[in-house]
Amino acid sequence: MRILIVEDDREAASYIRKGLRESGHVADHAGDGEEGLEMARAADYDVLVVDRMMPRMDGLSMVETLRGEEDRTPVLILSALGEVDDRVEGLKAGGDDYLVKPYAFAELLARVEALARRRDPETVRTKLVVGDLEMDLLARTVVRDGEEILLQPREFRLLEFLMKHSGQVVTRTMLLEKVWDYHFDPQTNVIDVHISRLRSKIDKPFPRALLHTVRGAGYRLQA
Amino acid sequence: MTQRRAAFLRTTAFRQTLLSAALFALSSFVILGFVYAASAGMVVRRADAVVNDEVQVLNDRFQSGGIDNIRLYILQRTVGGGDYLYLLIHPSGRTLGNLSFLPDVQPDEEGRVQFTYRRPPAGGVDDDSEKEDRIVRGQIVELPSGYRLFVGLDVDDETRLISRMLNTILAASALALALGVAAGIFVSRRFVRRLDKINNVARRVRAGDLQPRAPRNYTGDELDELSENFNNMLDRVEALMHRMRHTGDSIAHDLRTPLTRMRNRLDEALREDGDLDAREQALERAVADTDELLGIFNAILSLSRLEAGESRASIVRLDPAEIAADMAELYEPVCEDDGLSFASEIQPGLAMLGDRGLLSQALANILDNAVKYTPAGGAVTLRLRETGEGMIEFSVTDTGPGIPDVDRERVVQRFVRLDNSRSQPGSGLGLSLVQAIADVHNGRFELNEGPGVVADGHGPGLRASLCFPKAPREAG
Repeated sequence: MRILIVEDDREAASYIRKGLRESGHVADHAGDGEEGLEMARAADYDVLVVDRMMPRMDGLSMVETLRGEEDRTPVLILSALGEVDDRVEGLKAGGDDYLVKPYAFAELLARVEALARRRDPETVRTKLVVGDLEMDLLARTVVRDGEEILLQPREFRLLEFLMKHSGQVVTRTMLLEKVWDYHFDPQTNVIDVHISRLRSKIDKPFPRALLHTVRGAGYRLQA
Repeated sequence: MTQRRAAFLRTTAFRQTLLSAALFALSSFVILGFVYAASAGMVVRRADAVVNDEVQVLNDRFQSGGIDNIRLYILQRTVGGGDYLYLLIHPSGRTLGNLSFLPDVQPDEEGRVQFTYRRPPAGGVDDDSEKEDRIVRGQIVELPSGYRLFVGLDVDDETRLISRMLNTILAASALALALGVAAGIFVSRRFVRRLDKINNVARRVRAGDLQPRAPRNYTGDELDELSENFNNMLDRVEALMHRMRHTGDSIAHDLRTPLTRMRNRLDEALREDGDLDAREQALERAVADTDELLGIFNAILSLSRLEAGESRASIVRLDPAEIAADMAELYEPVCEDDGLSFASEIQPGLAMLGDRGLLSQALANILDNAVKYTPAGGAVTLRLRETGEGMIEFSVTDTGPGIPDVDRERVVQRFVRLDNSRSQPGSGLGLSLVQAIADVHNGRFELNEGPGVVADGHGPGLRASLCFPKAPREAG
């Protein structure tokens, strides 16, 4: 993947860049909004990681300008502010996801990869398949190895999200935001508990586990 | 000192008093002046009327008996003294009457004259000392055959009375003005003195001493009210300063522990020369420590924003049952995992104004605590209902140790952690955040004794409730 990091803090930028390169991605860096805008226009990036507060042109203006030019490249907005309103503003400006500093690199990587996946032509899929696990989005049924698995509505949505991002790491915060629509961190490990419930339904009766815990990052559903 | 003396002259109180004194003096001057003019006019009119009648009588006499008849009448009239004055002047210059001569005064348009004459004293004709100048008002009539007749009325007493009245009026106005100024000086000096005391307090507070308070006299007047408000403000400032200092100390204290731990782990990692696994573990734990620190910072930030009213929460009309149901769904498995039984009783069909995210966070903080402090085998219940007072109440009850009565108010403050919870992870900000969220929603956060039974290590439990006003009926 080719990723553009638009961030005025050189140290933060090099931290992201190094991490993305280690994960096998190509990462370029722009020091401010104007430079970022030029680079985004000149080359075809899979994902833009844009800091909100920058000299010359701030992140939101840059994203708005790009969106005005029909550029639909997925954008992850980084912000040091981290209040609900800020996130709403960020998404309104055309950002696709919002991450508050400071963050764990694993969190950023998971989100960048999830955004790149979104770029795939959005065919209306009615069926998700991971290994021998199948989900019918119309009939709202889940079958593994020919055996139907009964899930609660929330478990269904949790599994749906995991299956849509199969092969990728999804973090606890991502799940809390995307599946539950909560933007705060409960102190207790609520997500772990829900994952373990789901695991007991989709994995436990079967010989091979699909839902893996990625230490220090989150979870990954993989055949 | 001269500056001080000049100070009260500039005060509003002094100016106000002076102004009202001047207005009072002016208006009394105008009113009494009017009375004076009216009375003086009345004296003149009465004299003129009386003289007119007398002239009429004399005219009739003249018609019936000629000049001799007038002579006789005048003689009769002047024998016993009295206020009437007559003077008949023969063409040759001889005179008859109780007036010695007619001064050379020009009559006005109506033929009236007014002049002073010297009345002989009652005692004797020659007693010069007792003679007095008096005012007479009358009419000069030209009779046929060259006679001139003056008929007048002594108006001296009335005129004197009225002029004394005028003097009294002027004196009274001047006195009113003088009293007004004196009162103004008195009132404003008192005012300035009291104001000075308040100013002194302000100066001392500015210099850094938060102790002094403005003196009060508890009369409820403006200055007393100012002092009261001023003191309340100082109390608030002092409380805020105190809290800030406390918060600062608490932040330092709360951050020192994880920072020290992290430092030690990193130091340890540096010394783990060969053992890569151990080093990695130490680093991972250090990262976890950092996250904990960041979590505390984030909580402080959110709290500050909520308390400053800076976070414009997106308050919308919502169904609290949805929030409660989502929370129940989120926490039920958590409770079960911890060996707690979880139940929820949710009343549907209510509506309130709120921010889903913030309300959920408040409930999550309360539920986190319930899960954290209730020992296995206990019960956690989440309820949503409309109270008797028509409020919407979320409540979470548990059967844990509860919070002693005396500590219930304290735990809501920032960084307050009860001794028995220090071993548990947490920042001491959770309930402060709940309180702030309740405030943003015009709600109430209360902690009470729970339904627990004190036995087998179980406490009385805790009942945490959040009450909010119902949404007004939807328009249209």
